[in-house]
Parts: sequence; C-alpha cells; structure tokens
Amino acid sequence: MSWKRIPWIFFLVLVYPLLALSQEGIFLKEDEAPKAVFPDATSFERKVIPSNQQLREKIKERMGRTGTSLWEPSYTTFVVKQGQKILGYAVIVEEIGKHRPITFIVGVGSDGKVKDVALMVYREPYGGEVKDKRFLAQYQGKDLKAPLAPYRDIRNVTGATLSVEAIGRGVKKALALVEAVYLKPEDTK
Amino acid sequence: MKIFVFIAALILLMPAVSFSQQKDTAVEIRELRDKLERLERRMAEEETARAKKAEEERAAITEKVKTDVMSEVSAKGRTLFGDILGQTRVGAYGSMRYATSNLDDLHNSFTFRRFVLTTDSPISERLRAYLELEFERFTELEVERRTFSTGGGLRAQQAIEGSNKSEISLEQAWMQYDIAPWLQFRAGGILVPLGRFNINHDDNRWDLPRRSLVDRGVPVLPATAAWPEVGTGFLGDFSVGRTGKLSYQWYVMNGVTLDSEIEQIAQTRSGDTTKFSHEVELRPSRGTFSDDLKSGKALGTRWAYSPWLGDEIAASFYWGRYTPDFLPNHPVFSFALDGKKTWGPFEIEGQYVNTGWSGVDRVARGFARRALRKESEGEVGNVETEIEFELANLATRKQGYWVDLRYRFWPEFLNSTILGSHFSNPQFILTLRGEQVWFDGLIKNIAFMGGNLTSFNKESRLLNRATLGLAYRPVPLVAFQLAYEYTRTNSGQSLSSVTNFLTSSKDREFFQHAVLMGLTFGF
Repeated sequence: MSWKRIPWIFFLVLVYPLLALSQEGIFLKEDEAPKAVFPDATSFERKVIPSNQQLREKIKERMGRTGTSLWEPSYTTFVVKQGQKILGYAVIVEEIGKHRPITFIVGVGSDGKVKDVALMVYREPYGGEVKDKRFLAQYQGKDLKAPLAPYRDIRNVTGATLSVEAIGRGVKKALALVEAVYLKPEDTK
Repeated sequence: MKIFVFIAALILLMPAVSFSQQKDTAVEIRELRDKLERLERRMAEEETARAKKAEEERAAITEKVKTDVMSEVSAKGRTLFGDILGQTRVGAYGSMRYATSNLDDLHNSFTFRRFVLTTDSPISERLRAYLELEFERFTELEVERRTFSTGGGLRAQQAIEGSNKSEISLEQAWMQYDIAPWLQFRAGGILVPLGRFNINHDDNRWDLPRRSLVDRGVPVLPATAAWPEVGTGFLGDFSVGRTGKLSYQWYVMNGVTLDSEIEQIAQTRSGDTTKFSHEVELRPSRGTFSDDLKSGKALGTRWAYSPWLGDEIAASFYWGRYTPDFLPNHPVFSFALDGKKTWGPFEIEGQYVNTGWSGVDRVARGFARRALRKESEGEVGNVETEIEFELANLATRKQGYWVDLRYRFWPEFLNSTILGSHFSNPQFILTLRGEQVWFDGLIKNIAFMGGNLTSFNKESRLLNRATLGLAYRPVPLVAFQLAYEYTRTNSGQSLSSVTNFLTSSKDREFFQHAVLMGLTFGF
C-alpha cells in the first residue's frame, strides 16, 4: 500500500460521517417502531398505559421465574389494525443489558404470541449483535410459556449474554402486559 | 255539493299550508345545518387538539428514546466533564482458584489470578472509549526513595516492596469512532485479533479455570494473552444473505518484539562466596506503548464468517518485525483458524495457531555479536558478581490447538434448591478440552564468547493436555469451576522448559496431574 494514500483514508474517515445514513445506537424512532414489527398493518392506535402496583403485580405473576431489571413508569403501546381487523399489539419496553437500558419494541399477535421484535436503542459498548434480524427472529411465535433464555430456547450471542437475557426479559414483560391489558383484562391473575 | 265545496276549499288552502310547511322545513334545515357546522367545527378543534397532544407526547417519547445520555445531560447544562463522567460505566471481571498438583515444587495454593477494572464511556453518539486495567496476582507495590547527606557524603537509597508475580497491566485502552456498522475506526491499546481467545479473553466468559496452552501457558501466540498492542485500524461487519454475517478487524500496530527482562538474584551459599547476579533474558514480549524498539510495524487482521447465529468460522494472521534495531531484521508470521458450532445444548469451539519466527539462527548470532559474552563474573572478597545474557522462548515454529466440547444442562428438580431458587436461568456446563502444542527448533541453550556463538542447541518438543471440567453458573457472569488436568511433555524432559506456569525443573516430572477449583466473576 502506498503511504501517499493514507491522507485519503483519513480524509474519508473524517468526511464519511456527513454522508453516513445509519445512526449507531439508535435504530428506530417511536413513530417507525410499530411498523417494523407489523409491516402489514394499516393503522396504529397509540395508547399509553400508566404503570401502577396492580399492573406490575399482574405482569410479575405472568412472567413467572423471569424477573425484570426495571419497571417503566408507563408503557407506550399500539393497537395494530389492518382495516377494521385488530392484528395485534405493540409495546415499547426497556431492560438493562450489562450497565445500560436497551429499548425495544415487541409486536404481539392477537393469539398472544410474539409477532416480531425490533431494537430501538442499544447503548452498551459490546454485544450490538442482538440488534440483528437473525437474532431477533428467534422470538417469533414464542408465548408466555417459553423460557426465552439463552441456551434454553434462544441461541446466545458470544460476549453478549446479559443483553440476550435482557431482550428475553423484555419480551416476556411485553407478552405479560399485552395479556393483562388487552387479551385477558378480566383475568384477575 | 258539500264534497265539491270541500275540495274547492282544499284547493284554495293547500298552497298556503304548503308554503307554511316549506317555510318551517327551511328553518329546520338551516338550524340543522348550523348545528352540523358547529359540531364539525368542534370535532375539528378537538381533532386538532388531540393531534397536537399526541404529537407532543410522541415528540417527548421520541426524544426520550433518542436520548443517548450526552444530549440529555448537555440539555441540563452540565459540564462536559460531568457529562462524560456521568455516562461512564465501571465494571470488572476477575478470577481466583485453588490448585493442587503432583509436582514437587508446586504447592497447593490459592491464587488470585486477576482483577480487571473496565470502564466504557460513550463520549457522543459515535465516539466511545474503553479501558481495561488488570491487576494480576497483585497484592502490593510500594516504592520508597530518599536522598540525604550522611557521613560527609551523599546517600541515595531506594526500596521496592512488592508481592510475588504481581503485575499491573493496561489490557485495553482505545477510542472508537463509529462511522457506519461496516466501518468503525479504533485507535489506542487494542487487542490483537489473532484467534478467538485473545479478543474474548475475559475470565468469566470461560468455563475452565485455566487458560489454554496455545494462548497463555506456552504460548504459541507471539505474545501471551491477553495481548494488546498500540496501534490503529478498522473493524466492522456486513450482512451476508438473510442470516449470514461477515466481520473483520484490521490493524497496524507497533507489534511484538524481543525485549529484555532483568532478574536480580542475591544468594548465599554454604562453603562458597555470596553471589549477586543479574540475568538478562531477551524474549518475545508485547510491544511497548512507548517509542517502538524497531523500525517496522506489524499488521494483524481477522475475518470471521457466521452463516447463522451461534456458529462462526474465522481466519486471522499477524505479520511484523520482531527484532529490535540492534539485531538483524526478521519478521514473525502467525496464522490462526478458529470456530464455534452449536447444536442445542452441545457446543464445539476451538482454535489452531501456527507461528513461525524467521531467522532464529541469524538472530542468535546477532545477539551473540551484540552481547559479546554470555557470562561475565568477578569476585571481590566474599562476593561474587555475575551477569548473564539469555535468548529465550524462541522457536523456528510453534503450532498448536485447543478444542472445547461443552454440554449445558440444568436438572429442573434443582429449581427448588439453593442452587436454583434465586436465579432465573442457572446452568451446569460440562467441558472436555483437548490441547496439543508442537515446538520445532525450540532454543534449548545458547553460549557465546567474544561476540561469536560457541554453542547453539535446539530441540523439538510436544506438549499435551486434557482437561475435564464442570462449571456452575447461577448467573451468566459468575461461575464456580471444578476441573481435572493431565499435562504431559516428552518423556524425561521437564514441563518447565516448555510452559510458563509449571515451575518444576526436574526432568522426571514430565507430566502433571492437577485439580483446580475456580471462581470467576464479572459485574
């Protein structure tokens, strides 16, 4: 390699950010997120569900052995429709990875099963592979009965086990919330 | 007649009634229209207000989601230093173990292997810094120094107190500029991407209490893992198809070099003089973070392909001059193949490394020419002084591999016991590791006088190790480990001449049985 090219490489490094479209760390904004998990939907009705002790107890009970690393003060949810038909629900949740919260959206079908998961913000210095479609696709079709844990029903990402566990906890929390609020609100459990 | 009159009256009155009805209907329609317009206006106003409120809420949440600590803190008007400090996360990992061995010189012992402090700071959305500071077997380091006048002269004295084998080391210290997922610029003290262990060396990621021979115990890598070098380069990854991924790291670095280690020995001997000696050993070491000792730089790159999650195959190489400027110019070339494959609870993971040190003979002759004589000694009164020069740990070629077979399991009946009741996903991991290392042209001894080599012997050796281990992980970052090791080299030759951790120099001790109990943690 000619050393004369080095200034060009540095020039590229300095100028490229102006051209780069992707934003490292932030992958989806809130208004884009529900479409990412329900691409066929025609409307999204946004509803903010305040979190209170009663709701937390319901979620906790549904999550079983899986705990949560944080309780959000409220949950931003979307009732997802195609025409007049309800396709499902989408919930924005947060869980702590190793040190920082991971923000992601979970799409839940009317049958209570995960439709899809999409990462919105990833803040950890390592383990960004959990944002990959090939990782998140593992959650599709899972329900509250699934362990959603690495080495059990989820393939781990080397060096990002805590982030993998965090996504699993968040998905379970979203499933529990959808069941408690939308699918079986009358269920006292 | 009556009927006729009635019909006539009806005909005469009808238009009047009709006119009156039309008038009422028009009024009614107008009122209804007004009402409708009012309702439409109110609905439009309510819709506008609702949309505005929703927009505000959405904007607030989007802002919250977008918050990557920096922007949030700066909005609150804090100082830049305060921002970075507030975002910085401090973590750590470490390990300790208890080992028992059949070797006479190796005591059964607890060892606090290492405690590594880590920090990471997202300086801004695209810039971040990471640091690992290692305290290896470290207990204390104390330096006392003073200069004073005494006895009509000047006296300068220095005392260093430190614990045995203690080491403080900067394992990583780099800054990264995330240009795009496929192009990230990294500079500083970075891990050399040769094989898979060096870049994933955190103790708590592994299930056996001792690191591999290839990476640590021999090593076959040009320098012992964890092996950082100061340099700069790029890394990133690309999606390949629906499930595949190609990752790369590519760096230019100072690189590994032959550097000196000086050992001081003070020794009293029965019926003989007291000996005070310095042994200067020139051996391959990680490059300096200061001015390079040589003119050439090293290149290191690793390319990994993962066809789907959990599986990976990678190739890597390292090339660079390893001789300091006062010795003939010769490069070291290493290449490694590594990979991992997962089948449900079963995993196979391994690494092969091949390192060739070119021109070992010429380097030995150059070393003799520069050092002039291997040993210099003199005797004054009852004190003998000796200085000795050695060239160590060089071989024409070293190659070796490790392969881990793992099985992860958790008996459900343990969920109600102390092992499982407080944890959501505890695990046992059974590991069988096989390792072999081949040495070709390993320097056995070297002698020189007057700048000429007088003796230069090399040998070929083989080192094998098998390990069976069981680890209990209540949470991913903590493991309690138990392992049995069997290590063996060529019959009748000592293990200490081919490893850097088995101290026995007795030739009859060419094998070792060891039991290790370890604890590794991270947070």
